[in-house]
Amino acid sequence: MAKKKQSAETSGPKEFDVMSYLRRDLFPHFLCPGCGHGIALRALMWAAHELGLDKDKIAIVSGIGCSGRLGAYVDANTFHTTHGRPLAYATGLKLARPDLHVIVITGDGDCLAIGGNHLIHACRRNLDITCMMLNNEVYGMTGGQVSPTTSQDRYTTTTPTGNTEATFDSCKLAEAAGASFVGREVTVQTPTLKNLLKDAIDHKGFSFVEVISDCTEIYGRKNDLGNSPEMILSQKSQMRPDSYGGVIVDEPFRPNALPTGVLTRSDRAEYGETYRSTMASSKKGA
Amino acid sequence: MDKKITHKEPVNVLVVGVGGQGVIMVSKVLATICQEHGYQVKQSEVHGMAKRGGGVFSHVRFGEQVYSPTIPKGSVDVLLALEWAEALRWVNHIRPGEGTFISDTQHIVPPFACRNRKRGAEAGYARETSDQIISRVNKGFALDATTMARELGNERAANTVLLGLLSTTLEFSEDVWCDAISRFVPPKTVDVNLQAFEQGRAWAAMDHGTPEPVVHNDGPTPVVVGREEHEMSDFVQLDINPAWCKSCDICVKMCPERCLKLDDQLKAVLTDPDRCTGCRICEWLCPDLAITVHRTPEAARAAAQG
Ligand SMILES: Cc1ncc(C[n+]2csc(CCOP(=O)(O)OP(=O)(O)O)c2C)c(N)n1
Ligand code: SF4
Ligand code: SF4
Ligand code: SF4
Ligand SMILES: [Mg+2]
Repeated sequence: MAKKKQSAETSGPKEFDVMSYLRRDLFPHFLCPGCGHGIALRALMWAAHELGLDKDKIAIVSGIGCSGRLGAYVDANTFHTTHGRPLAYATGLKLARPDLHVIVITGDGDCLAIGGNHLIHACRRNLDITCMMLNNEVYGMTGGQVSPTTSQDRYTTTTPTGNTEATFDSCKLAEAAGASFVGREVTVQTPTLKNLLKDAIDHKGFSFVEVISDCTEIYGRKNDLGNSPEMILSQKSQMRPDSYGGVIVDEPFRPNALPTGVLTRSDRAEYGETYRSTMASSKKGA
Repeated sequence: MDKKITHKEPVNVLVVGVGGQGVIMVSKVLATICQEHGYQVKQSEVHGMAKRGGGVFSHVRFGEQVYSPTIPKGSVDVLLALEWAEALRWVNHIRPGEGTFISDTQHIVPPFACRNRKRGAEAGYARETSDQIISRVNKGFALDATTMARELGNERAANTVLLGLLSTTLEFSEDVWCDAISRFVPPKTVDVNLQAFEQGRAWAAMDHGTPEPVVHNDGPTPVVVGREEHEMSDFVQLDINPAWCKSCDICVKMCPERCLKLDDQLKAVLTDPDRCTGCRICEWLCPDLAITVHRTPEAARAAAQG
């Protein structure tokens, strides 16, 4: 009992040090105090480390927003694209360079509002890309406008009397559109989030991960959700971890709780392979 | 087997311990035997926090007619405790001047008894010795059942050693007990459990003083179950980069040891290095990546040297 305590950390390839994945000269980063996006960034780097990815083979493609800005801080190939379009750029990149691990960092506004169409078609195509969407229920960067994931009744600068629109469940959307891997996690469960991201990156096909993040400064303040510690803890309490293998379907006390963990995983044909084999055989035929 | 009902008034046996020790197995064996002897039996148990090493207890009542499934305070005929502090928690429930006290002297220190969770640190735990307790009850047995079971090859059979002792206080025959035990323990462990049961009976037959409570761990002071990985904590070194810290308070509020605070510049600082276990929660949750925990001797030394 006493001696099997060599944790994965010490027996693994090399202890994870986030510093070696950062462009440190750009720090401190520009995010507000307590912004959950920073926690998600660490989890993503941690996942890449544990998968032993070569930094030169990582391509981070990000959109516009506080979330999109994260790409700039990563010491790898990074591509800061236009609002809503990171998946379109990523699609081109992955088709041209299948050897790269293409990871998209996007926000709820970026991915579901202006970029919603790109998302559904990326899911449909099933190209081997990982999409990490940071959902803080708001357009953080532009000062806190309502987004497709804003909960009902919440205050934002564009919903001064509370949001009256219905809310997107982005994981259901991605699954319905055909994503072959879908998962969700909160930032406060960092090791679990890291493991989910590992699975997503490892998955062959389009993988979509929704990270529940907190925009403390704008959304939290406007809705009186407390400071960052309170916000990240309450997010966790609003989730329903799928730890019982889906046996517990409904929670009577929290009917709106969202499930976390891996929600969908299938091995549908990956588009890049299909595309390349079709091209190869058409060349032969010509 | 004689099936004569000998108890008009219910006999009350209270079995207590912590999660994972086999309290429920003990009470099931007893309840089954009683039922097969024609008694009415009521058993009720609470094991809510069992998975976290929390307290577990089970009431077993048998007699000609039993109404309530719980034993009123002060009417426990036999208290069977698998852990020392749990024994003390319930000792006042014994029938004054009549009841029997049986306990393993093993200490399992609960996490909340350790304000400082570093290895080897002092822990709050009951200080009463077995002599003090035995002198307070009508009839008392305190034995190191865990060591006895370990010497037989399976520490987990400690509960069966105690069953052996319990069997000497009730009227059922030895065969009846052995038969029931064989049905309730995992098939592969039947032999070791029957041996453990014999040891418990033999111990009861011997005349001996009570041993001092034994702390079952490899260090001189209590170590909390399940925290071995923090042995490394001797080498923990926390690096907080004030230039990156934005005073969000996450690390301060989330540190399980409460050993961080914001200083007068509103930068996170470690208040009590001795309390830090190196759990890394602050590192994981710092949105500004301002904290690094070094946890190997080499890394800690390098960090300390700057
Ligand atoms: C074409 C275009 N339209 C609008 C904007 C303004 N804009 C910048 S960021 C943003 C919203 C970002 O929200 P989200 O994706 O949720 O990211 P967050 O800041 O919340 O992380 C908008 C509308 C823009 N930059 N480009
Ligand atoms: S505005 Fe909101 S999302 Fe953007 S950095 Fe600040 S807290 Fe984060
Ligand atoms: S590593 Fe951090 S969170 Fe853990 S005990 Fe030390 S200061 Fe607290
Ligand atoms: S979590 Fe990081 S940024 Fe927040 S107070 Fe602690 S060290 Fe500072
Ligand atoms: Mg957003």
